[in-house]
Amino acid sequence: MADGKVSDFTQFREGVVDNNPVLVQLLGMCPALAVSNTLENAIVMGGAATFVVVMSNLVTSLLRHQIKPHVRILIFTLTISTFVTIADLFLRAHLFDVSRKLGPFVPLIIVNCMIISRAEVVAIRNGLKRSLADAFGIGVGFTLALSVVGVIREILGSGTLLNYPVTPAAFEPHLWIIMVLPPGAFLTLGVIIGIVNYVRQRDRKGGAA
Amino acid sequence: MTLGIGTLMGIFLSVALVNNLVLAGFLGICPFLGVSRKIDMAFGMGCDVTFVMTISGVVTWLIVHGILVPVGNALGDPEALFFLKYVAFIMVIASMVQLVEMYVRKFFPPLYTAFGVFLPLITTNCAILGACLLIDMKPEYQNLLNATVFAFGGGIGFMLAITLMAGVREHIRFSDVPKCLQGPAITLLVAGILALAFLGFAGIGS
Repeated sequence: MADGKVSDFTQFREGVVDNNPVLVQLLGMCPALAVSNTLENAIVMGGAATFVVVMSNLVTSLLRHQIKPHVRILIFTLTISTFVTIADLFLRAHLFDVSRKLGPFVPLIIVNCMIISRAEVVAIRNGLKRSLADAFGIGVGFTLALSVVGVIREILGSGTLLNYPVTPAAFEPHLWIIMVLPPGAFLTLGVIIGIVNYVRQRDRKGGAA
Repeated sequence: MTLGIGTLMGIFLSVALVNNLVLAGFLGICPFLGVSRKIDMAFGMGCDVTFVMTISGVVTWLIVHGILVPVGNALGDPEALFFLKYVAFIMVIASMVQLVEMYVRKFFPPLYTAFGVFLPLITTNCAILGACLLIDMKPEYQNLLNATVFAFGGGIGFMLAITLMAGVREHIRFSDVPKCLQGPAITLLVAGILALAFLGFAGIGS
């Protein structure tokens, strides 16, 4: 992945598909489970995390020659918590309702291993362009994964999509209330990861043959 | 504000069972999936988390109410310094983890080798920061005793969940799981069923 021949676009696509933070790397699982009960929450959360990972990769990449190896984790954490504070204050000012629903999960982006792993794996040893491409890839991949879980849980659990009713009247969402409750999150994500694994294993077999 | 033992028991049961941080609050999922392969490791991790969580809960409470609020008051607005909260919290947790790591390395070397990379990872365990943030967000934890009980109960709840999970996973190893579901997928499905079981606690203490 650190190969110089890989184009920036490949780096971007890698984050979205082959190295999707939630579905393949299994990083950042907590928000993926917690705030994916509606599509709106998923998108706002994805946007906030994308902002943080882009800014953190930007700063880390610019400072990569100055950062001493033994204090790097500290610098990463401080950079990330600064941008998380900015994102949190912004959401509270402009999207108060969603921000209240997300609760502690916006500040919890600080300890999202996905973001620190991008600083450690990519930004600290690559130039600005590559780091940004990677950050956008990871951010979009994270948002997409959250949105997929969010769509499934919102349609089944509340019968709505972005708060508009979408299911036929005969469908009774209260029978599926489990989907908006915690167990629904675990079950949905488990099944999705199972499907992703199935597709990947089939592809690998196909490639080998 | 009553300080009866009943209130404290209520807080403890609520955070350990009804609103279990892992199964109902989705905090600390990474170690929950990663370190739940064997019961003894899961239990050790649970003890570490309980310890770090209790101390961090108390220390972050002291920082908010002992430093940020008074200094803010002196500046004319009690919330003037709240933008420093997250940075302060994460620093406290990082240093607490360092402390526990040194302690475990000195007194329990086998446990230290068993954990490998997982101990430093407690820093990025969102259950710890999550518990501190929850204490900070809810007005009912504005006194130190309630906050301590909440943090301790949260740790016990984490230990309970991860140990139960490890118990289930030790048995899953001998069953015939479809290939695509092996690993995290089946773990998440089991967690879903566990969470379903924990829903049964809803109503206790409320």
